[in-house]
Amino acid sequence: MTPNTPTVHLVDDDVSFLTATARLIRASGFVVLTFTSAADLLAVVSIGARGCVVADLHMPHMDGLGLQEALAKSSNPLPVLFLSGQGDIPTSVRAMRGGAEDFLEKRADKVELLEAVRRCLARDVREHAKREQRETSTNLLARLTDREREVLGHVVRGQLNKQIASDLGIGERTVKLHRTAITTKLGVPSVAELTRLVDLADAFPDLTEHFP
Amino acid sequence: MIAAACLTLGMMHLLVWCRQRDAVGSLLFSISAAAVAAMAASELWIMLARTADEYGTALRWGHVSVWVMMVFMVWFVRVYLRAGRAWLAWTVCVLRTIALAVNFIVSPNINYREITGIRHIPFLGDQIAIAEGIPNPWMLVGQVSLLLMILFTADAAWTVWRRGNRGPAIRVAGSMAVFLFLGAGHSALVFWGVIQAPLTPSLFYLGTIAGMAYELSDEVLRAAKVSRDLLESERRIELASDAAGLGLWVWDFGSNLIWATPRCRAFFGFGPQEPITYPDFLARVHPDDRDTTAEAISASIHGGRYEGEYRLAQTSAEERWISATGRVECNDAGFPRRMHGVCREITDRRRSQQEAALLRREVAHVGRVSMMGQLASALAHELNQPLGAILRNAEAAELFLMEPTPDLVEIRAIVADILKDDRRAGAVIDRMRSLMKREEIESRPIDTGDLLEEVARLVRGDAMARRIKLELDVDAGVPQVVGDRVHIQQVLLNLILNGMDSINGNMDGERKVSLRAGAQGDGVVGITVKDSGQGISEEKLAGVFEPFYTTKSNGMGMGLPISRTIIEAHGGKLWAENNPEGGASFHFTLNALRSGNK
Repeated sequence: MTPNTPTVHLVDDDVSFLTATARLIRASGFVVLTFTSAADLLAVVSIGARGCVVADLHMPHMDGLGLQEALAKSSNPLPVLFLSGQGDIPTSVRAMRGGAEDFLEKRADKVELLEAVRRCLARDVREHAKREQRETSTNLLARLTDREREVLGHVVRGQLNKQIASDLGIGERTVKLHRTAITTKLGVPSVAELTRLVDLADAFPDLTEHFP
Repeated sequence: MIAAACLTLGMMHLLVWCRQRDAVGSLLFSISAAAVAAMAASELWIMLARTADEYGTALRWGHVSVWVMMVFMVWFVRVYLRAGRAWLAWTVCVLRTIALAVNFIVSPNINYREITGIRHIPFLGDQIAIAEGIPNPWMLVGQVSLLLMILFTADAAWTVWRRGNRGPAIRVAGSMAVFLFLGAGHSALVFWGVIQAPLTPSLFYLGTIAGMAYELSDEVLRAAKVSRDLLESERRIELASDAAGLGLWVWDFGSNLIWATPRCRAFFGFGPQEPITYPDFLARVHPDDRDTTAEAISASIHGGRYEGEYRLAQTSAEERWISATGRVECNDAGFPRRMHGVCREITDRRRSQQEAALLRREVAHVGRVSMMGQLASALAHELNQPLGAILRNAEAAELFLMEPTPDLVEIRAIVADILKDDRRAGAVIDRMRSLMKREEIESRPIDTGDLLEEVARLVRGDAMARRIKLELDVDAGVPQVVGDRVHIQQVLLNLILNGMDSINGNMDGERKVSLRAGAQGDGVVGITVKDSGQGISEEKLAGVFEPFYTTKSNGMGMGLPISRTIIEAHGGKLWAENNPEGGASFHFTLNALRSGNK
């Protein structure tokens, strides 16, 4: 078991419940780590940790929602599944809005619980992959000069070289030269793929807004 | 006749002296009276004398009673009137004694050198004897002593008059002087042959006796009046105390008897004449109160004051309470002699106190129950923890048992945990039940940190639902407190919920309730519930603990008064302050557990 094995990180100040839930989840084939406070969890979750967090809502010092906030701000925002002994609507709504994967009662059905855990872990795989891709893409695009970036922006908007040249006030030949440089640096020939790269990197966030 | 009168008076005062030995005046008087009576007898003897010798002998023996009368009269003036010069008194007595001695040495007697014959003259219808003879110059000794006695009594009269006692001055000393003068004068005239008359000095001396008797009986009358006044005063005190519902009692340690007014007797069920001893009294005290009462009384016998309340031994269905106070009186040597006291029935007062206490408990109970509604959800949460753990454990065990070789160690651990959690759930329910029960306030040691954490757990859900941060700050070395866990938690819950209600409207500001506990020196622990709400307006700050003060439409307004009653019953104080940064703080104190306590 390496630190990067998808692990269920269980946190609850009630030791009895923590132990019991850990037993069940382990027996169902998952890797589990237990913590009795949110602070303990945050201290241990390193940047490479994979998996999810199953947290009690009502804890002293930092409660479940506080933990959720801290994780979201961190560089490794693991998905959170909440377990609560007292489900009130306002709190559950806040939790979901904060990005929780699910919000269950502590006495919820076993099947439901394990399902939610699976979903959480899968979500982590997805989101982690997405983050990695984004990082890679951003690194790639960083190779471009400012001008090249500008041109790229117009290219993925679907503009022809002529239009780009007139928008930027440069010659068409210059545009073609930039496009060659872009292709060479990024190693991506087609516009479609360029678009996908830009999307992954989320390089031009206001792109969609310009759709007339 | 004279003799009879004197003897009667004499006997009376002899009796007085017998009954009261320090009335020496009465003794001296009675002897003097007897002397005058004897004198009268001698006179009769003289009057009936048939021969000169008889006359002489009778006269001689007559002098004995004269001596007795004079000496004792002088002594009476000295003792009773406390007047008259001592040297005069002694001179009189000495002279008279000499005269008496001479009287018996010389023949026939001190008055006549020789009695030549007797004559008979008519007197009051009878024939009586008169002597004829030669006067004896030795007579002068006796007569000088009489003169000096007159001077003595006159001087005494003057002294007493100057003292301000005009009555006794005239009645006793004055009359004595006058009648002595008359009597002595008359006798002298007879002896010196100036007049021919029977010797009747007793007639005159009867006057002095009468004067003394009058004075002495005046004393007796005065004493009678004083005793009547005393009786009257006593009756007034009894009436007054009876009207006030008080029973008076006096316990004489010497005789161990207790005197009590009729009302006092009525309280205890003693008859009007029944003698009461201390054990009798104790027997009428309720058996449960007997020991404390006896101890308190014993302690007070040397301390001086007694105060106590006790029940009467039950004769009817009702309980009756008596309040008694007493004070000890010591004799000159400092030895306790008597205890005087007062007792009163306070059954009504006690009953009212008991009813009030009952009502208070009822109200506290109602307050607790109404708060319970708000905590139902919190307790449901508390139950969900152990129940959830049991469920998960059982499910895990199920999975383990499905394996080809189940890990029995693990399964045993699971079963143990399930049992523990079941017990935990039971405890939660018991706690909920005890919150509903009407318990008296117990005094137990309580861990302050645990107490606050438990309460925080109860309200955490509510706080989170309202998006209020609940903060706990317990000093590291805070001592344990002494009190009733359930009641103090009730107070804390009340204060916290109030704080949260105060924050409710505050959408923008800080939303925080903090609990603080710390030692405050003097064996006291201080606990504070501080909120970031709206605070309490200055004019309402004092009234916030009054019953029915509430800002909530569905509030009862009893939470704070009840909380204050609970804290005060623990010997602490509860008060409120506004925070400078906004919101209010409610502080209360509890007694810390002193090390070495049981």
